[in-house]
Amino acid sequence: MKKIVLAEDNSMLSMLLKFRLEKEGYLLLIAENGKETIELIEEHNPELILTDIMMPFVSGLEVISHVRNKLKNQTPIIVFSASGQEEIVLKAFKLGATDFMSKPFSPNELVNRVKKILR
Amino acid sequence: MFKNNYFIDFFENSPIIMQLVWVFIVMIIFFIMTTIAYLKYLRSFLRKNENLKNKIEKEFETAVINYLYAGNEIDEVSFEQKSIIDQFKSNTSEPFKRDILISTLLKLNYEISGEMAESIHKLYIQTGLLDYSLSKLKSRKWNSIADGIRELTLFHVKEVQDQVKIHINHPKTEVRIAMQLYLINLFHFDGLDFLNNITTPISEWDQIQLLEALQLNSNQRVTSINLWLKSTNNSVVFFALKLAKIYNQYGVRDELIALLDHQNIKIRIDVIHLLSYLNIIDAKIILKNKFNELTLEEQIAFFEMMENLYEIKDKPFILEHILNPNFEIKFSALKILKNLNIEEFNCFKNLTLEPEFVRMVKYIEAN
Repeated sequence: MKKIVLAEDNSMLSMLLKFRLEKEGYLLLIAENGKETIELIEEHNPELILTDIMMPFVSGLEVISHVRNKLKNQTPIIVFSASGQEEIVLKAFKLGATDFMSKPFSPNELVNRVKKILR
Repeated sequence: MFKNNYFIDFFENSPIIMQLVWVFIVMIIFFIMTTIAYLKYLRSFLRKNENLKNKIEKEFETAVINYLYAGNEIDEVSFEQKSIIDQFKSNTSEPFKRDILISTLLKLNYEISGEMAESIHKLYIQTGLLDYSLSKLKSRKWNSIADGIRELTLFHVKEVQDQVKIHINHPKTEVRIAMQLYLINLFHFDGLDFLNNITTPISEWDQIQLLEALQLNSNQRVTSINLWLKSTNNSVVFFALKLAKIYNQYGVRDELIALLDHQNIKIRIDVIHLLSYLNIIDAKIILKNKFNELTLEEQIAFFEMMENLYEIKDKPFILEHILNPNFEIKFSALKILKNLNIEEFNCFKNLTLEPEFVRMVKYIEAN
């Protein structure tokens, strides 16, 4: 079962995506902040990382930087951003993000992108 | 007993000022004790409330997620969904639980789009929350009305626009901006038709909020702004000028030129800046011909326009103003002259030895 780490501080969105992605056969590991995300990534070495850009303690950008520069890991990373965060998204791509989705997004579209990346 | 008598005797034999001080001390102690007891009660009440709120919120979150995944392709509303709706309906009669349910739905509504977002909007209607929002529109309290309109906006309830539009000229600005944002968020540029009927002012801050809401929409097809430029409500004219600038409305050239004779000086100045931004040369000729009739602020705005739209044939006019008593006009005239013809600028730069003029020339030469 392919493992996905989801870093999202909105508990409801996390729950919704967990139901949806587990239905598709993935194992979802949920973190509520950047610090927990890094711990989960180091412990489980997931096949995909989904991260919100704005998170408490450690931001999504720092998570990407940690994965790419410290862990030297090429795990695909999909970034969630809100509208008006275009510049931060560009920074995320510079740091090594694979793809991004602007909130509000369709969970079905996310599933399609996840499937495409993990094919 | 002996002790009590001692204190009573001591109190009765004390001077009146001492007695008053003792009474005051006892009152203060009583007040502090009561306050401490009340604050302790309040803290435990709020904690209990918070815990209850968190518990209900978790239950509602799970129920909403179950509702979203309980649909089937055969029925519009599945049996499981129906039971979740009934459970929510029984909870919405209590204002405390109703508010939690609304905030739970909104928590997800902000984050997702597509079919699931539509399902949340349906759930809002099916649980009867829509009726509560609509009832708020009839409330006597302005904050309830604004609250109701905001809920209708967030859940994209387009069908009730007539009930919302009733508040177009509500005395409270908070209600008006809620109504305006409802129309723009749900109907985009078509929602701006409220500008035809609004008689109350739209503050600068509210205008910024409306423009931001317009720019967040993917549909950027601007409707005609001609009517609003002719509005008797000055704030509508200011807003239309902002729209003309942001969306490069060259088509309203004639209306803008007509506004050069508007009775409000701030509008006239904004129009001069806008005409300059849109590079409408005809306006420059009109303003140049009536330059002496303009107020000083308009003359300064006109020279800012000239810096952008100068032509070689403007040279005589510019030369007339290089010794204008106003600093801004003189400075603009010298800058334009330098750009038009550097040799003539060099000839005229020694026209006077006035220190301000000399400093100005030196600055322009260096930049």
